[in-house]
Amino acid sequence: MIELEGIEKTYTRGEVVTRVLQGLSFEVEAGEYVAIMGASGTGKSTLMNILGCLDKPTAGHYRLDGTDMVQLEDEALSELRNHKIGFVFQQFHLLQRTTARKNVLLPLIYAEDYPENAEEMAEAALEMVGLHDRIDYRPNQLSGGQQQRVAIARALITNPAVLLADEPTGNLDRRSGAEVMAIFQQLHADGRTVILVTHDLELAEHAERVIVLEDGQIAEDRPVAKPRDAEHELATLTSVQEVDE
Amino acid sequence: MRLFHVAGEGWEALWANKLRTCFMMAGTLVGIAALTVIMTIGKGTERQVMRRVENFGPRAMMLVAGGGRATGPPDAQITTLTLADMEAIREQIPGLEIVTPQAWATRAQLTRGSAQTRATLWGVEPEWHAAWDWYVADGEGITDEDVATMARVCVIGSSVKRELFGDEDPIGERLYVNKVSLTVTGVLEPRGSAGTGGGDFDNRILLPITTAMRRVLNVDHIGAVRMITTDARRMPEQAEAITGLMRRRHGIRPPAEDDFRINSPLAVAEVVRGTSRTLSILLMVLAALSLFVGGVVLMNILLISVAERTPEIGLRRALGAKRGDIFTQFLTESLSVTFLGMVLGSGLGAGVALAIRQLTSLPVILSWEPFAVGIAFALLVGLFFGVQPARRAARLHPVEALR
Ligand SMILES: Nc1ncnc2c1ncn2[C@@H]1O[C@H](COP(=O)(O)OP(=O)(O)O)[C@@H](O)[C@H]1O
Ligand SMILES: [Mg+2]
Repeated sequence: MIELEGIEKTYTRGEVVTRVLQGLSFEVEAGEYVAIMGASGTGKSTLMNILGCLDKPTAGHYRLDGTDMVQLEDEALSELRNHKIGFVFQQFHLLQRTTARKNVLLPLIYAEDYPENAEEMAEAALEMVGLHDRIDYRPNQLSGGQQQRVAIARALITNPAVLLADEPTGNLDRRSGAEVMAIFQQLHADGRTVILVTHDLELAEHAERVIVLEDGQIAEDRPVAKPRDAEHELATLTSVQEVDE
Repeated sequence: MRLFHVAGEGWEALWANKLRTCFMMAGTLVGIAALTVIMTIGKGTERQVMRRVENFGPRAMMLVAGGGRATGPPDAQITTLTLADMEAIREQIPGLEIVTPQAWATRAQLTRGSAQTRATLWGVEPEWHAAWDWYVADGEGITDEDVATMARVCVIGSSVKRELFGDEDPIGERLYVNKVSLTVTGVLEPRGSAGTGGGDFDNRILLPITTAMRRVLNVDHIGAVRMITTDARRMPEQAEAITGLMRRRHGIRPPAEDDFRINSPLAVAEVVRGTSRTLSILLMVLAALSLFVGGVVLMNILLISVAERTPEIGLRRALGAKRGDIFTQFLTESLSVTFLGMVLGSGLGAGVALAIRQLTSLPVILSWEPFAVGIAFALLVGLFFGVQPARRAARLHPVEALR
């Protein structure tokens, strides 16, 4: 479903030329759960932006569901992002001035047709991430973990082909992070394609495949023999916490 | 539908930042209010001009004794305007349909038995009626025979009739002017208070000009010459020719001041417009300044807002917003603000106009035109000052914006 072929990305700032991605090629099948791992500054986010059609590679080809996005104009890329891609960011990126419901609805505004049952769709999406009782809360009335779950609901509402998450637990405590990881695993179990970007091996091993980036190249691309079980970790954390209390 | 939703995002931002919205709106509001007041006064003034010109006669000119530029009655001190001047105009100025003299006295004492009143006295020729398009409602007007025989007759205005005769029929009755007994032969159609000075037009008495000059006033000069041109477009040229003729006849060399003046519809209009001009100019400056400064403020607040909301813009782009959607959203903010300002400003302007009507004598007419002009200006300001911030927002690169 995702095919990358010789992807390069070079930033030129004045005299300084930074070759961030140096010829990446890999494929991701529909329904896979892949972690892209690497130290800070190795180009994970850069790759993520390309996968999310937010940015074009300097060279190479990237086919998403058969379309080569490198050929597309800005408008078509916007449509592609709207249909096919769900983003989850480290900083949540919620609109502060409005409710969880309205935040989740946001991608539908930019869809071809605004669905008649948009409100119910938003409620269903929020329910799926366990926020059925927080539908009309504003972001500042929610914890970090809850905010990130609103963001996940927002990413899912257009029923995208791929869910892209860049360090989604980076701003969260362990427990909230585990909750988010559990949701991703559930989504994967439901057949959704998930790509998780992280610098943390422990997090990466929740996926069933890990691609390790080093110096702008793929150092390793291996399956995870026994992925970690976020649900189980969450249960452990909860019991520890209960003991603490 | 999509447009509606995208515009809705702009409205939401305005609603969420009400104070900011007020600042963005203030200039347009004040500017449109000032524009509305200008236009209501302008419309009132123009209607007054039309009425005054209509009363003066659209094709009429008056050569009036006494210099200066003002309209109004002749200067009683000036005795240099004569029937010979009038004859000279008749003979030498082409394109005049009517040239008719008017001798004049202000506040002439009229008596009938114990009843008394004061009225403006005019000695006229029969053509006076045609020259003013003002005829008798009862009886007869001044005739050639009256003038030729210096007849002791008069035609009275409806106010004089009311004062001296009440409900009686005045035709054939007598009254006294300066101890001269006159028989009333006619009553003029009522005209109401329509003069450039706003006085009662019907408080007048007409005499044959010979009777007035020899028997009643005992003067050799006249107060004015009324002229009707065949073609209103020739008026400026004719006025100039008359001025030249009169200066020659009266031996006046500029810069010496003229002892006469020529009133025309243009001069009448000028006087009426003069009263509201200063206020209109002040308001015009206020409107232009408010709209411009307000527009600049609007633009800068929007630019700041674009900078502040850069991550939001990046997020929207990531979620599938096209450049056009972002552009629309910010332009919606700008246009909505100016439209809101326009609506409130129109209301404020109408209120101020009504207050002006209550408190001053300035003519004010409310109508839909200021609203239409307001819409045009709101659109203009909203577009002119909104396009740049909207373009800047739309051009942000999604990745840069999200960082
Ligand atoms: N717009 C840019 N211009 C120049 N260099 C950039 C730009 N964006 C990213 N980089 C550089 O590319 C490298 C990779 O960045 P990034 O993809 O954010 O890494 P990661 O997400 O793995 O930490 C970094 O060295 C960063 O400085
Ligand atoms: Mg990163």
